[in-house]
Amino acid sequence: MPEGRGHTRLKSLTNLRDVLSVATEFERTARDFYRDLAPKVTKNIRYLVEELAAEEQQHLDLFSGLAERADVEAVLQTEIERPIDDQKFFDFAHLPDLGERPDDQAVLQYALAREHAAMVQYEALAEATPPGTLRDTFRFLANEETKHKNELEVIYDRIVHSGGV
Amino acid sequence: MTAGADVLAATDPRPPIDLSSGKYLKLWQGPQHPGITGNMSIELTVCGDEVVEGKTHVGYLHRGFEKLMERRTFIQVFPIVCRVCVPEPDFNEYCYAAAIEELAGIEVPERARWIRTLILEMGRINSYLMYLGGQAGAFGLGVIGQWTTHVRDLMLDRFEEMTGARIYHMFILPGGVRDGLPDGFDRRMAETLREIERTMADVENVMFHNAVFKKRTRGVGVIPVDLVDTYGITGPNARAAGLPNDVRKDHPYLVYPELRFEPVIGHESDMYARADVRRRDLLVSIDLIRQILARMPRSGPTMSRLPNVLHWKIPRGETYVRGECSRGEYGYYVVTDGSGYPRRINVRGPSYTHAMALLEHLIPGTNISDVAALMVSLHTYPPEIER
Amino acid sequence: MRDVLSPFLAWKNLFREPVSIADPLNREAAPRYRGFHKNDVSKCIGCGTCETICQNGAIDMVPVAGFEPKDGDSGLRPRIDYGRCCWCALCVDVCTTGSLTMSNAYKWIDADPDAFRFVPGVDAKSWDEAEDGYRRADGHHLTIRERVPMQELAPEVRVGGFDEIVAGYDVALAKLEADRCVSCGLCIAACPTHMSIPQYIEAVRDGDYRRGVRLLYETNPFSNTCGRVCTHVCETACALRNEGDPIAIRWLKRHIMDQVSQDEVREIIGAPAPATGRKIAIVGAGPAGLTAAFDLAKAGHAVTVFEAAEKPGGMLRYGIPEYRLPYDMLDRDIDAITSLGVEIRSDCRVGRDVAMAELHEGHDAVVLAIGLHVGRSLRMPGSEHPQVRKAVDLLRSIGEGMSFDVPRTAVVIGGGNVAMDIARSLARLQKLTHGEVKVTVTTRKEPGHIVADPEEVRECGEEGVVIAYARGPQRLVIEEDGRLTGLLTWRIVPKIDDKGRSATICDEGDAVVHPADMVVEATGQAADVGLLGEALTEELAWNRDRLAVDADGRTSLPWLWAVGDCINGPDVVHAVADGHRTAAAIERAFAETSIERTRPDARR
Repeated sequence: MPEGRGHTRLKSLTNLRDVLSVATEFERTARDFYRDLAPKVTKNIRYLVEELAAEEQQHLDLFSGLAERADVEAVLQTEIERPIDDQKFFDFAHLPDLGERPDDQAVLQYALAREHAAMVQYEALAEATPPGTLRDTFRFLANEETKHKNELEVIYDRIVHSGGV
Repeated sequence: MTAGADVLAATDPRPPIDLSSGKYLKLWQGPQHPGITGNMSIELTVCGDEVVEGKTHVGYLHRGFEKLMERRTFIQVFPIVCRVCVPEPDFNEYCYAAAIEELAGIEVPERARWIRTLILEMGRINSYLMYLGGQAGAFGLGVIGQWTTHVRDLMLDRFEEMTGARIYHMFILPGGVRDGLPDGFDRRMAETLREIERTMADVENVMFHNAVFKKRTRGVGVIPVDLVDTYGITGPNARAAGLPNDVRKDHPYLVYPELRFEPVIGHESDMYARADVRRRDLLVSIDLIRQILARMPRSGPTMSRLPNVLHWKIPRGETYVRGECSRGEYGYYVVTDGSGYPRRINVRGPSYTHAMALLEHLIPGTNISDVAALMVSLHTYPPEIER
Repeated sequence: MRDVLSPFLAWKNLFREPVSIADPLNREAAPRYRGFHKNDVSKCIGCGTCETICQNGAIDMVPVAGFEPKDGDSGLRPRIDYGRCCWCALCVDVCTTGSLTMSNAYKWIDADPDAFRFVPGVDAKSWDEAEDGYRRADGHHLTIRERVPMQELAPEVRVGGFDEIVAGYDVALAKLEADRCVSCGLCIAACPTHMSIPQYIEAVRDGDYRRGVRLLYETNPFSNTCGRVCTHVCETACALRNEGDPIAIRWLKRHIMDQVSQDEVREIIGAPAPATGRKIAIVGAGPAGLTAAFDLAKAGHAVTVFEAAEKPGGMLRYGIPEYRLPYDMLDRDIDAITSLGVEIRSDCRVGRDVAMAELHEGHDAVVLAIGLHVGRSLRMPGSEHPQVRKAVDLLRSIGEGMSFDVPRTAVVIGGGNVAMDIARSLARLQKLTHGEVKVTVTTRKEPGHIVADPEEVRECGEEGVVIAYARGPQRLVIEEDGRLTGLLTWRIVPKIDDKGRSATICDEGDAVVHPADMVVEATGQAADVGLLGEALTEELAWNRDRLAVDADGRTSLPWLWAVGDCINGPDVVHAVADGHRTAAAIERAFAETSIERTRPDARR
């Protein structure tokens, strides 16, 4: 998800449901990306791509479900009271080129970079928005992306750093 | 009569016993009987109230210890040896441990040697106390036994607090002893010894300065001194005949070379002399315990490092370790064959010689009322006769 | 006259207090009294040494509800029969954990005689909380707690070359160490390949080394190897570990092999069974593959092992440095296996020189034992620099005897045993080439949490290698002229994440550049499954990134099996156990089907 395009789109919104709707769409795009990637990778790492797709689906469900709630503002406020620390690992500071036959490390680095970029983006939007429901929404989204990134880091750690043991 | 009996009859100056003559009565004394210090029987042939012949019968206490020991590893033998001799068990522990130490090349720490000596002397006192009660009791003087049993119980309290048990201490094992003395032991032992001394003063007055006791024991059951070597007589039985035989002096062991004492000797070799030797020997033991407590080291290890006792193999060898117990020479003959089990252990208890051959020799001519007392005066403990 | 009057002195006792104890039934025994048993059943490990020493068979080890067997604990607990017990307390003296003690209680009245056979600590008794009772005196215990020390090369000596560090026990020392064993058998259960450890330790005591070798080969054809580098789960389970040092089982195993000549070893292994006509292909001549080869060859099957490298051994040769496992000792283990007729085709890479399909065609079974020979990389930007290497590759070069430019200064990224291996190997090469050791290991873990074995970490430090803890690699420092000059790391701050898992955060405020001419990545390894080819990869079932195998090591295709590191993670003795298990399963499979059904080319 290139930062530029999404950023511009989001910045122009003023309604939190619209923001959530756009965020949901971003997740859908990500999910589809992974779904399309699955058959292109070797079977021994396909499980990973499928898991990533499933996680994006979860995010998609979460955001779209939220948008339908009447008390969505209250829920967002509670969530952002616990900001998630960014672990700031090195491995994914850049977005790798997946190439023809990416291996598991490349796929994960790509996924991590996406989450990182999304996280950064939502944070920036939150900073730029005056206090209020909208800002809470951006905060919430930033948190979710951070959480997601942290989850992926655990998987990355296990696969890349521990010999898969 | 058999040919052998013919020969015996030819050398025996006494008239032959004709059981069909009606002059003689066969009495079976035992295995539970007056004078009992353990289960043993005497088959008496009596003419009137004079015993003309006695045949001893042992075996009631054969528990098969020596065979049991062959089927146990060296460490497993340790808990069972004390039960060979019920009234004075510690000698078994000491002799067994010392024999194994010799065959396996293990040196015992200094502190352990002192504690072992202490235990053996405590055991000696207890054994003599029991003897005194039995000796007086054989004549109906029951009060002595009441007194000595009480102070013996106090000594058993000392055993209990030091070793963890009253009778079967299981405290002296190959390598040393299991622990040091508990706190306050010296003080309590000093009190116990004082009690015993007080009681011994009473015993002396009531038993030894006693016209009836003297009448019954003076000149009775005399052991001729030339029998001592032929019959293998040891301990007070020999010393009352005037011979200064005491293994603690003749083949010193543990810390006896460092203690001051002299063998206690009597001369008349009768029942009274033997009783008196034992009385005085008891007092010597009290003094020895005081010497030991004053001089023994209070720190340092009580056990040497043993190899893994679960699969301990001892090289081929044999040895005989002896000590002076209250009844005489006690010894363990141990043979090892390189395996993890003792090949043969033979326990030499002094009662083996005193209670059978010697008793049979001394009995003819005694009055039937003296038989029990005679047996007690030899201080026989049947458990160590047949193990 | 005196003798008539003197006895009357006894009358003075008329005025004396009676000495009878008023309440004899409740007299408390002395503090040291050997009374009824207590057992701290959470401390007890069910080793059964109390049962062994009891002279009258009064103790039996019995299963108890709520105690499951696990490494180092049999799950059994002692049941004592008071009809047999003589209260000698030898069981307490020999207890390996100090859990078994005695109270000073001595009264127990019950109408049911069977009640007197009980499990202390499990069957609740009134004396369970008693404070007094028999305890081992200070320093009095019948177990031998200290291990016989092992002689090793001093740090200054060993860093000058690749000589084996551990000297090994001589016969006298080995006998002393072997004497310590209480033969409880907890080690047998813990060992992945269930070696008969107390039995071979007994062989050392008896000096019967032929028996020892025979026992070793029943379960482990890599005893020269494991006797040097095994991760010794047995020693972790050893009963003596609770109050002292565990038995040096690993060194004793090595000692046995050291005493017997290679000719004798071959003789003891004996000849294989008559040929069965079955053929098996094994891919990879590491411990997993060669153990399976050993078993199958012994059973009379024709085994061919395809090894991509120049020599067999796998990680044993190309991963573990010589100072831990000398090549000639590894060669002995391998020689014993080839002496059974196992054919090893070295320099033969499946996937390149021969296809999997070919193996399938010509063999009744194919076993993959390909290990974890691909080194992972962090893929920091600039990782393609020629001076950025992977530990696995460098160790392989050293194993192949290939020389390379030894860097003056090196940084190793990683905290596992592989990082230690490459760091210490580089240290030696530096000492030999440049006369000075300059190696830094960076690990993300805090001291005390490093993954590598404590012995490795200690010896590493002794050899002059510096370990930088809690550092997260960020960036390679590459100069404008293209030279690699260092690695930049950030401090890692540990924390627990919201799910209670330990996570970390990088603190960019605390940045350090570790100077380096070479950066070596020892962060992780993967299996090179490319040899399967695309079609086979699709056809097989996978368990995440590993081949899915059943409990016997069989993949979803009945002719293909997989064992060792590539399935179960890196560990030599587990690889050996895998090899045995799968060989046995292949044997069972053969017994159930004819050759025509198992070998495609036999059908024609």
